[in-house]
Order: sequence, then structure tokens, then C-alpha cells
Amino acid sequence: MEAKQKSFNSMKKLKSNLRIKSPGIKALKYPLAVVVGLSLFNVPQTMALPLSGKAKIHLVAEDRKVSGVVRDEKGEPMPGVTVALKGNTAIGTTSDINGAFQLIIPEGSLNNAVLVFSFIGYEAVEAEVGQKAQFDISLNSTVSQLDQVVVVGYSSKKVKYLSSSVATINNEKLRDVTSNELPNLLQGKAPGVVVSSASGDPTSAAAIVIRGAGTISAGTSPLYVVDGNIGGTYNPVDVESITVLKDVAATGLYGSRAANGVIIVTTKMGKAGKTRIDFNNTLGFAEATTGPFRMMNSQELYDYQKPFLDRDPSVLNTNTNWWDLAFRKAFVNNHNVAVSGGSDKTTYYVSGNYYKEQGTLIENDKTGYNFRANIQTQLSKRLQAKVLMNSRYNRDNYTNSNTLYDAYNNMPYDPAYEADGSPIDGRTYPGWYGRDRESFLHSIQYNYANAESLNFNTDLNLDYSITDNLTFSTYNRVVFNNGKSASYNDRRTKQGGANGGEIYNGSSSSRRLLTSNRLRYEKDFGKNNLAVIAVAEAENNFNDSFSAAGKGLPPGRDVMSVATEVLTNPTGDYFQSGFRKYLGQIDYSYDNRYFLVGSFVNEFSSLFGKNNSTANFVQFGASWILSNEEFLKNNSVLTFAKLRASHGTVGNADGISNFASLGLYSISQDASYGGLPGAAPSQKGNPNLTWEKIKSSNIGFDLSFFSRIDLAIDAYVKESSDLLYRQPLAATTGYSYVWVNAGSVRNKGIEFNLTSTNLKNRDFEWETNFNMAFNRNRVLELSDGASVFNPGGTQPIAVGHDMNEWNMPVWAGVNPENGDPQWERILKDADGNITGKELTSTYNQVQTADSRQFTGKSGTPKFTGGISNTLTYKNFTFSAFFNFVYGNYVYNNSRFYFDNDGGYESYNSMVLAKGWNRWEKPGDIATHPKSVVGGNKESNQTSTRYLEDGSYLRLRNIRLGYSLPDNILGKTGFSKLSVFVSADNLWTLTNFSGPDPEVDLSSGNSSLRYPISKKYLFGLNFSF
Amino acid sequence: MKSNSIHKLLLLGVLTLSSVSCEQYFEPATSINEESALTNAADVQTATIGTYAVLLNAAYVRSVHFLMEYPSDEVAQGQSSADDLTRAYRYNHINTSGHCTNFWSQAYKVIAAANKIIAYVPNDAETQLRQLKGENLYLRAMMHFNLVRVFGRPYTQNGGNNPGVPLLLDHLTEEQQLTISRSSVKEIYDSVIADLILASELMSEDKACSFASKEVALALLSRVYLYKGDNENAITYANLVINSGRYKLLEGSEYTGYFKSAPASNQETIFAIHHTKVQDRGFSSLGSMYFSGDAAGNPLGQGGSGWAEIYASKKFKDFVDSNPQDLRRNFITPFILNGELQFNQRLVPVTPMYYINKYSLQEGVINLSSPVYLRLAEMYLNRAEANAKLGNTQLALDDVNLIRQRAGLSGSQLYTPGSLGTKSVLNVVMEERWLELAFEGHRSYDLFRNNLPMERNYPGTHSLNNTPTTNINQTVLPTDDRVVFFIPQAEVDRNPNLTQNP
Repeated sequence: MEAKQKSFNSMKKLKSNLRIKSPGIKALKYPLAVVVGLSLFNVPQTMALPLSGKAKIHLVAEDRKVSGVVRDEKGEPMPGVTVALKGNTAIGTTSDINGAFQLIIPEGSLNNAVLVFSFIGYEAVEAEVGQKAQFDISLNSTVSQLDQVVVVGYSSKKVKYLSSSVATINNEKLRDVTSNELPNLLQGKAPGVVVSSASGDPTSAAAIVIRGAGTISAGTSPLYVVDGNIGGTYNPVDVESITVLKDVAATGLYGSRAANGVIIVTTKMGKAGKTRIDFNNTLGFAEATTGPFRMMNSQELYDYQKPFLDRDPSVLNTNTNWWDLAFRKAFVNNHNVAVSGGSDKTTYYVSGNYYKEQGTLIENDKTGYNFRANIQTQLSKRLQAKVLMNSRYNRDNYTNSNTLYDAYNNMPYDPAYEADGSPIDGRTYPGWYGRDRESFLHSIQYNYANAESLNFNTDLNLDYSITDNLTFSTYNRVVFNNGKSASYNDRRTKQGGANGGEIYNGSSSSRRLLTSNRLRYEKDFGKNNLAVIAVAEAENNFNDSFSAAGKGLPPGRDVMSVATEVLTNPTGDYFQSGFRKYLGQIDYSYDNRYFLVGSFVNEFSSLFGKNNSTANFVQFGASWILSNEEFLKNNSVLTFAKLRASHGTVGNADGISNFASLGLYSISQDASYGGLPGAAPSQKGNPNLTWEKIKSSNIGFDLSFFSRIDLAIDAYVKESSDLLYRQPLAATTGYSYVWVNAGSVRNKGIEFNLTSTNLKNRDFEWETNFNMAFNRNRVLELSDGASVFNPGGTQPIAVGHDMNEWNMPVWAGVNPENGDPQWERILKDADGNITGKELTSTYNQVQTADSRQFTGKSGTPKFTGGISNTLTYKNFTFSAFFNFVYGNYVYNNSRFYFDNDGGYESYNSMVLAKGWNRWEKPGDIATHPKSVVGGNKESNQTSTRYLEDGSYLRLRNIRLGYSLPDNILGKTGFSKLSVFVSADNLWTLTNFSGPDPEVDLSSGNSSLRYPISKKYLFGLNFSF
Repeated sequence: MKSNSIHKLLLLGVLTLSSVSCEQYFEPATSINEESALTNAADVQTATIGTYAVLLNAAYVRSVHFLMEYPSDEVAQGQSSADDLTRAYRYNHINTSGHCTNFWSQAYKVIAAANKIIAYVPNDAETQLRQLKGENLYLRAMMHFNLVRVFGRPYTQNGGNNPGVPLLLDHLTEEQQLTISRSSVKEIYDSVIADLILASELMSEDKACSFASKEVALALLSRVYLYKGDNENAITYANLVINSGRYKLLEGSEYTGYFKSAPASNQETIFAIHHTKVQDRGFSSLGSMYFSGDAAGNPLGQGGSGWAEIYASKKFKDFVDSNPQDLRRNFITPFILNGELQFNQRLVPVTPMYYINKYSLQEGVINLSSPVYLRLAEMYLNRAEANAKLGNTQLALDDVNLIRQRAGLSGSQLYTPGSLGTKSVLNVVMEERWLELAFEGHRSYDLFRNNLPMERNYPGTHSLNNTPTTNINQTVLPTDDRVVFFIPQAEVDRNPNLTQNP
């Protein structure tokens, strides 16, 4: 503890030395205004500078005018190719629509001049000028992933020159699965990126965890960086590529927000040349995946209950399948039109998208409209401007609050419809058997809950080359969000009955201003290359919200104004936060063989609290391209080899409550009494609270064999210390929790990504991608020498254990004598030493500190991964993509409701899974105890009985596509026309007894799950 | 040109850095920093309101009601429930009971919040602050008393020397709070009495029954002494309340509408947990378990406005019906459809649906109620019970008759020492307590502290305890382990010094 304090103090000292004082401008609240002002000030000045006139002045007889045409592999002219003098990019131009270029090389630069022709996605070509004036060049597209240029934080680089572990997924690979949410599209596509969806509801996105969770209570979701700035919105169709930054050398630049990895989203830009119009259409339908799981029908339920519950056989006259009534064949469509093109100076990409996905559960759907305009223009030779705009409207219709619950639990004995076809109201139907006396079919006639959101995102980015080696860039973003929600419970329904109708309205708005200003210096000194980046960034957020609820509404009237009384008092709140960051990075390489990168980040966040509001983070990375060494050069087997290593620190304070360090009295309606305002102690203070520190190291190889097999292997150790933990407190402290820095956790793992072109000839190509990641988690120590935190929890935090390891009474099956449930009871002597164990049927004897056991089974998988195969034959493409999760255990909490040995006789029961059987008579060896009305000795309480293997292998997508060949296309007027059929989640292999093994892996619980959808889709894409 | 670009560079540098030097802090909008929360009388007032407000949490008011009321013989559950409340009713407790955990943590939250104010305000402060300190002392006493009744055995067993609950007083260090062990039942009673006496001395404002005042503390003292078996003091403090003149017994329709009226204006209530009209909890309310109906009070089927699965027991209903004039029959609304009494059909034996309406329809809001904790009728009955035990038969019967008359009974329905027959005077008092205070959380304590068994021979699901039978006989002896609840296991896990109940 003392050492911690010391290092903390020295950090504070460092911090104060670094603080840049600018008293005069303290009042500056809107950094953006300044930056916009700056840019306005800059533009005319640049215009006025003799840059544009420069060429004219220097055009003298000795200068060389060179020209030529750039073409691609097929001989088509390539517009927009950068042509520049090597080592002096200020002398350069781009090819025009016809691929032609002209460039005047000043006499002074002619000596040993080399022209570089470059274009993203193509291998750069160098040509010595010598005495030549005419250059006809052809560029080959980069086959190897290694030559892809990827955006890594504040710069972009070819993969092969990176010192970091990154994963890149391009648009095509990303969008095989159909969804409007990026996480759902990323599942299984990058090693170490574990996606888990908590629901098949199209209005909810899946969760992403990169390289294991290293935190207890802080956030685990990665940081999104869209088009160079933190945050931002986009539609998946407009995404050019996704880069996942995993190791600290790359993520570190994002400091306190980088602990969980960074996902960099780059949207599409137009290309100079002919205007291109693309239409993409996907339509299809979806149904819920259920596997072998199903609820009982009337006869099955009657037969099951008969031994312990004497029901009148007349119940068999009705056999309602509530599940089928709740689920449906749902429609999915996605339509997109994009227009792109431009001149050699200005390019544009404009896209509009409509997405509609119905949930497989009735009433539930998502509608999204998205409009994007990306414009890039070269204002002058040295000044480039980009304006990126994205606006989005989403409408989510949520499921009725009871639909899913009733689908599982309602009794098949109860009818759904009256003779005239109208839904029955369970409350008034005589002799309704179901416990909750409700039918969602009745409620959804009138009730609804929905939310709308409107989002505007505008970026203005300027890049200005101050000198040939020095660039100033300013990236600025404004984001406006508006959200509103409404839910209505009609007085005729169960939900609204008591209050004579209820309406809830909420609205929220937020604005976010962000500016990021960067200086970049780059220069070659012989074989040495040096790049230095300095960044200053600031962000300001403001959020507010309001809600109101009324009651006493005439039937069918769903507006607040008709409500006769207040249901609950209106609420309203606002919240502000501010961030500031300085960072510097030095990137050095020698001879394309040795690479070094180091960076330093200093951050301020208003969320951290006054004592610890700034933080410093340092990162290093190094790599060595062995294949550029003499001993490996031109090796025909190992065509590329690189060794990478990185080490550094980042922080995490995401997801903890604001003002977490303060002892607080909350002033809220909850603290008011008898109509008077009050304040109640709400949070115990911890003035020493500080953010989590994550120290991580990565070592990796990038290898390429025969130029057709690429393999990337990484091993990492990620140690988080000062873990933020919302520690539950004994009630006698008067508080339920306190935020503490609790100890340290280590994640270590290995991951690899293998891409192989197995076969490639003129007509046929077969490519395989296989990725896998293994992660191990272990709690190293807890504060104050504690061995376990939250001891009674099912996933306590305990030294030496996986953070998500399950701890609970161990189920010992059924007593063959009498059918009672049994658990293991641990026996201890007076000194606390374990002396043995016995079986007991008394639950209270095992729900104790002594008898709850670590199971060795964790909620997090031992490994995850994906495998995809793509086969192309002439104009046909076939692909199949599987993802898998192995070794995690899921607590199947739903069985509490419908697999409970008579505990809830007025809920339906699930049909026993394969291999399960019930105790019926003495001597039976059974998995399920004797059923007893009201439950058999708490057999459905928490124990390993409901802990199930959550491993699965799932055919995430299978797809067959056909593109019309060029010779036919010519006659149609289309430049491209393709069709595909595709299916998502068609097949799953699992031992899990519920309808869907997928769960949100951060909780590991499966509770009345909304299963994900099988989707069958047809697509038509054309361009002209 | 060179100098030009240096200038530009500098300018850019300055603008870049200054544009981002806005290191602003923001204050929470809906909280105050603890350090500045208690600085003056107005703050103490605000914080005291916040302490009362904890009582409104469903985790307190609903959970404590289930734990205190459902073990009684005046209620019957018609079906098994997914909610832990069934275990309170069926005496098949588990140590992870949600309602026990709720009640325990909320009660200590109240005590801890009260302790902050008790520690801050000296006993010789100005009048308003003394009043507020008294209110906090009352709240602390009330919580300790409720805790010791739920988790500790009756005082009358083993002279109060059984384990009680942790006694959380002000000025404990954090370490002490985390490792506190259970005081004996007697120690808790002693502290409760000391707190209440000091509270009654400090308070001087006649506040509405939503808040504590002198007589509220005195009334609770009467009950605490009665539970302790100190009959003289039970009478003394009952007298102080009765003779204060602040309260009167409601009569006639005012009485039958007792629980529907706005709580602050009720002249009989001494202390109630005041819910305003916007604090309706709907289906999650306490009353929703008892009643389902429309705003006029007409009963509807289950799920109409509430779950309606806990009914008045047939045993109690038959008893209160023995005098058709008894106004207290109005607190039960039998669910009658087309002239026929309805039964909950889920399980055998089928349970008659006698809805209880003491927790519904306040100010016309179906699920709204302000549960009454102390009222004047109890003071008369406390005095009657103490007098009966002291052998003052006539005094005891006078109070019983007063309550019976108010309930609309007269003539031979009133008692004289000669009309008791085989009943003892204590029997008569206990019967009257049952009739008058039914469903208000008294019954099981009244029986067990007087060493009487709980006889539950009536339709319900209480005897289905793991045996699929229609047997509806259950007798719980006052010595049964399950007369008290398990200490929440989560608390035992966090505090090694907490011992569990057998």
C-alpha cells in the first residue's frame, strides 16, 4: 500500500511538471469553435501563399516534364493514383480519370530521382526517372494481407510494418451475416475478439470482449474509433474496413479508454473516375433457433403431473402452444443505394440505407434509416479537407413485457382465443390454470413500448502540409443525439388495469464536441525513417434526460395530455463530462528491417475525481522483419517473417459510476417522504480511489509461406492491477457497496490467425481462414490480503481462481431410496480442516461458506474461434463460416421456472432433454428428483444442477453467390450484377438443454432466453 | 519565408494546446457530497426526511410485512408462489431468503443514516434540532425492535438471553461495523428502551402521524414493555399516549374507511409509513398480494389489479363473522362472482378467496396504502393485556369492551367478568387483539411471546410442505426453530462474527 502511494505521488509530481499553463484561455469552453476559427484562418492564408503559383515560377528549361498512364492488372486506366517523387512527396500529383498524369520535376531534384506510384490496395511501384519522360505503369492489387494499409490509431501503416497485433476485416468479409449491429457481424472473424449475444432481439447488440475481461466492475467493451475520432456513428454497409487493435503498442494511444482494445472503423470514400451507383438489396425471413428444446403440450404435462397432482382430465380438451403463438416467421430487409465518384481533386461517397428486421418474437422489430455523405477535396496542393456526415434514425419496437415469459411458462391447458377469434383475457377467464392469469395476446392488442433515436454526426478534418515533412491535421466532430421512449399500457389490459391505463414518456438529448489536433513529422535519413506525432485532444459532453408518467387514460388514448393523474413524479437530470489528452509518439525504422515505436499519453478526465484526475501512460513496441535480412531474402518457402514485441500500460475507468470516489447523499424522489424533499446516504466515499492500471505485453510472429499462407501468432500477458470493484458491504455499515481498488487479475493467452489460399487457378479458387484464441484468467491478489470478495455470490472473486469461476453447492443427484434431491455437504473439524463430505437433502446445510464449492468451471470459454471457407468457381462464390466457443459453463437459470420438480405446478414444464429421467419409485437412478407440489426440498435452488456446458459450434453463415459475367453485362448497361442466397445460424452443435447456448458471457446466465434467429436471405446487388 | 513558417508553426502550436486546455470539473446534479451534507438545521431536516424515505422502499415495507404477517393464522395462501414470501407463510425458510436480506439491509440502512444525525446533534441543541434527533432515535429504536423480533427469539424465552441482532449505535468505527456480533435479545430491548425514552424527552413538536413525535416514542415503549413482560410500564406508557388527547378512536364509517383515508389526517393513527399518491407501487405493492379489484373497491379476479393470492384464512373469517354486526368484517372483501364465493382452484385444498383490503384503495388508488405501525386501539389493547396479566380483570375488560363497542358490538356481545365462561380474561384480550389488529403484523408475536402455539387448521397451501397431501393441519409451537428467520447468509459470509440461527 505504501509503495503504491509513493508511485502515485511521483506520478502526481510528473503530472504537475507537465501541466501546461494557459490562464488567459481557461474560460474557453468550446474548443471546436477555436479550431474552426483556426481552420478558417488557415484556408485563405494557404490559398494566398505562393504554393499554387510555385510551379509556374520554377518552370525553367532544365526541369523535366514527365507524363504517362497508370493501369491496373486488367489494363483498365486507374484514376486517383498518387505519383510522387521518392523522398520529396511535395513534388507529386494524382492520375486523372483516364489514368493519365503529368508532373514537372525541378532540375534540382532530378539527380537519382525515383517516381513512386501508389494506390490503396495496390502494390506501390517505383520507377527511376533517369532520362525518361514517358512512364506507362501497371499496378497489381496487393494479394497479401501483409501489404494492406491499416489505420492504427493516429496513423496508418502497412500491416507488415506494424509492431502491434491487429486484426483487419474488410467490408466483404464483414457483411456475410445480416444484421445492423457491428458486433453481430464481427463474431468469430478475428482471433481474440469474443462476441456474445444476450438475445435474439434485433434491438439489442451483442457484447464484445477482446482478450479476456481484466476487470471486475469496470466496463469490458472496447473503444470504437470511427474515421479517426473516438466514438461516432456509422452504418455497417458504409464500412470500408474494421481494424481491431489488441496490443498495447497500438491501443495505448487511447490511454484510459484503451483497456479493452480498440475497434477502428473506417468508412468508404469515393474514388475519382466515373460516377458509380451501387444498389444492394437483401431480403429474407428469420425464425427462432430452438434446437431440441421445447415446452410440454397438454398431454405431456398431464402425464408428468398426474403422479403428484390430481387434475381433472378435462384439461386435455385444450392444447395451446404458447411458444408458437409468441414466435413467428419474421421478415428482414436491407436496401442500400450508394453514389460515389469524383474528379482528381474532389471525391464523394453518398449512401442511403433502409434496414428493417422483425424479431422472431411478435411485436418486436427494428427499423433504421441511415444517410452518409463523405466528401474529400484537395483545396490546394498542401491542404486537404474532408467533410463526413452521418445521420441516422432508428426506431425500436420492444417486445411486450410478458410475451417471452408467457411463451415459456403459460399452461397449455389455457386457451388463447375465444370462439370468435378474439384473444382471451386470462384475468376474467373462469378456471384459468396459469399462475399469472395472463395472455400476451390480449395485452398486445393495445399495449406497446418503443424508442426512437435520431443522431447527427459531422466531422470536419483538415490536413495541411506545412513543409514536405511536417503535416498539421485537425479532426473535429460534433455529435447530436436525441432519443425518446414511450410505453403505453391500456386500461383494458392486465398491465394497465390497476391504474386505469398508464403512459410513460421519456426523452433524452446529448451533444458531444470533440477536437483532435495533430502534428506529424516524417523524414527519411538514408535508410532511417523517423515519424513523430504530437496530438492534443479535447472532448466535452453534455447529456440530459426527462421522463413523465401518467395514469387514468380512456381506452386507446396513448398521449400524456389525456392522463387524468400523475403516476409517478416526473424526473429530469443532466450530466456533463470533459476529457483532455496529450500524446506523443515516435516511430523509427531502419532499412525496413527494424522498427521501434514509443509513445507517451497524458490524460485528464472529469470523471476521475479531483485527486486523481490526470493519468500518464507509456508504451513501447518493436519489430524485426527477418525476411528482409540477407539470410532469408528470396527464400521461396518462408516468403515473409516478422517478429513483434510490445509492452506498456493503459488504464480503465469505464463503466464505474460518476463521482465514484465521493461519499454522497442522494437528493432524489426516492429520498423524499411525506411530500418533503430529503437526502439519504447513497454512496460510501473512498478518497483514494484510482483507475485500473493494465500492464500488458505481447509477442508475435507474422509469417507467410509460399506467398499464399499467412499466419499470425500472438502470445500476450495482460495484468490489471488496482481493479475497480463495487464491493458489497455488510449491511451494518449502512451502505450496500463501496468502490474500491481491489487487487489484480491476469489474463494470458495465445491466438492465431491463418489465411490460406489452398487452390488458385484460372477458374477456381479456394481460400480458408481459421482463427482461434485461448485465454486464461486468474485473480492474483485482492486488497487487504483478502482471499475472496463477495463470498456468497455464484461467481465470487477469489485469489487463484478464474474471475468467472462458478462457486455454489454441488449437486449430488437424486437419492434412489426416496427421490429426494441431494447436495454435497462439506464436513470440517473445529480447526476448519475438511474432514470429509456427506450427502444431504437439506439445502440450508449446503448454502453455507463451508459447503459452497469452487467448481473448476468458468463462465468464460477456454477457447473461441472461427473457420471460414470460400470457394470461387468462375462467377460462382460459395462460402461457409462457422464459429465456436468451447469450455464455458452456463447457469441455466430458466430451469428454476420450468424444470423444478413440481415447484411451480401452474407453470408449464420443459420436455426432458436427452439423457434425463425422473425418479418414480425406490431404486430408480434418476437425474430428476421426485416431483412434489410446491417443490421437492428446494431442489431448484442455486446449485451445480443447472450448470451446463455452454460449448457450441455454429454454422454462422452459409452463402452462395453468382455474378453476371462481363460479356453478358456489357449488353445490360450494368457494370456489375450479382445475386446471392444466404442463411445465418442454420445449424448448431451443443449439449446445452435450452433453446440457444449463446449467452452474454460476462454473466454466463441463461434466463428465459430470447433465442437468436435462423435467417434465410436472398440478395440482389447491381451497379452502373 | 523561413520565418513565416516558424511563425505559423508557433501559432498552430499555441492554438492547438490552448484549444484543449479546458480542464473542467463537474458536480453531481442529484447528490451532495457527504462532507457538506450535515452543516445546519435545514440539512438535518433534509437528511432526516431521507431516513424516513428508506421505509418506503419495497425492500423494507413489503419485505418486513411478509416476514411479520405471513407466519400467522389469519392468512391463507391459495397457490404456490415464485416469490420467497411463500416460505414465510409455510415456515420452510432458507438462509438465502430474498425478503430477509431485503429487510435486514434496509433496516440497518435506516439505523446507519439515523446514527449520522444522532452523532451530529448534541442533546442540548436548539428545539428543532432536538426534535429531529429524537425522530432519528425513534427510527433507530423501531428498526432494532423489528430486527430483534424477526431474527431473535421472543424475549419471554430464556429471559431475553438468546441471541438477538447486531446493535448498531453511533460512533462505531468502520472496523467495528464490519465485525459486529449479535447482541442478546435483552441488550437490544434495553437499547431500544433507552433510545425511545431519550427520543420522547427530546421531541416537542406535535407532528402528523407520518413522522415521529413524543407520543409515537411513548406508544412504541408501551409495546416494547408489553413484549418484554414488563406489564406496569406497558400500562404507564399506554396511559401517557391515551391521555395525551392527541388521538381518538374512529367511529362508524370513519372506522370502516380507516385504511382508505389520507393517512396524515387519520386521528387514530399514531405512526404510519406515509405513501403519497405518486408512490403507488402497482403490482409490486404490498396490497397487490391481498386484493384485486376496481377503484370502487369491487373485487375482481386474480390479476385484475393485483396478484390476490394471500387471503384471510377461513379460521379468521369464521371468527370475525361470529358477530354479524362486527364492523371489522368490512376489512375483508370476499370475492363473490354471480352470487357465489370464489375459490382459488390451483391446488387442493381449494382456498376461499377472502380478499383483505387493509392495504388497498388509499385515497382511491387501488394498490396504494400507508401501512400503519402504531395506532390508538393497540394502546387500549396493550393496557388490557397488561392488566389481564396483572389480574386487573375489570380494567382489562373495560378496554376490550371499548374496542368492541367501537366495532359496533353491544349488549351481550360485550364482556363482564361473569360472562367469560371457560375463557380466561387473557383469552378474551388475545381474541380481541386478533380481531382488531388482524393483518397488521401482530398475530404471530402475540401468540409466540405468550408461549401459545399457532394453530393453522384451515384450507391453504401451508401444510403442503413437501408432502403431496390434502392434510390442512399445522401447529407451530413457540419453541419451534422456525419461529424466527435465518440471518441472511450473505451477511454471515461478510461478517465472520455473525452466528446463524439453528
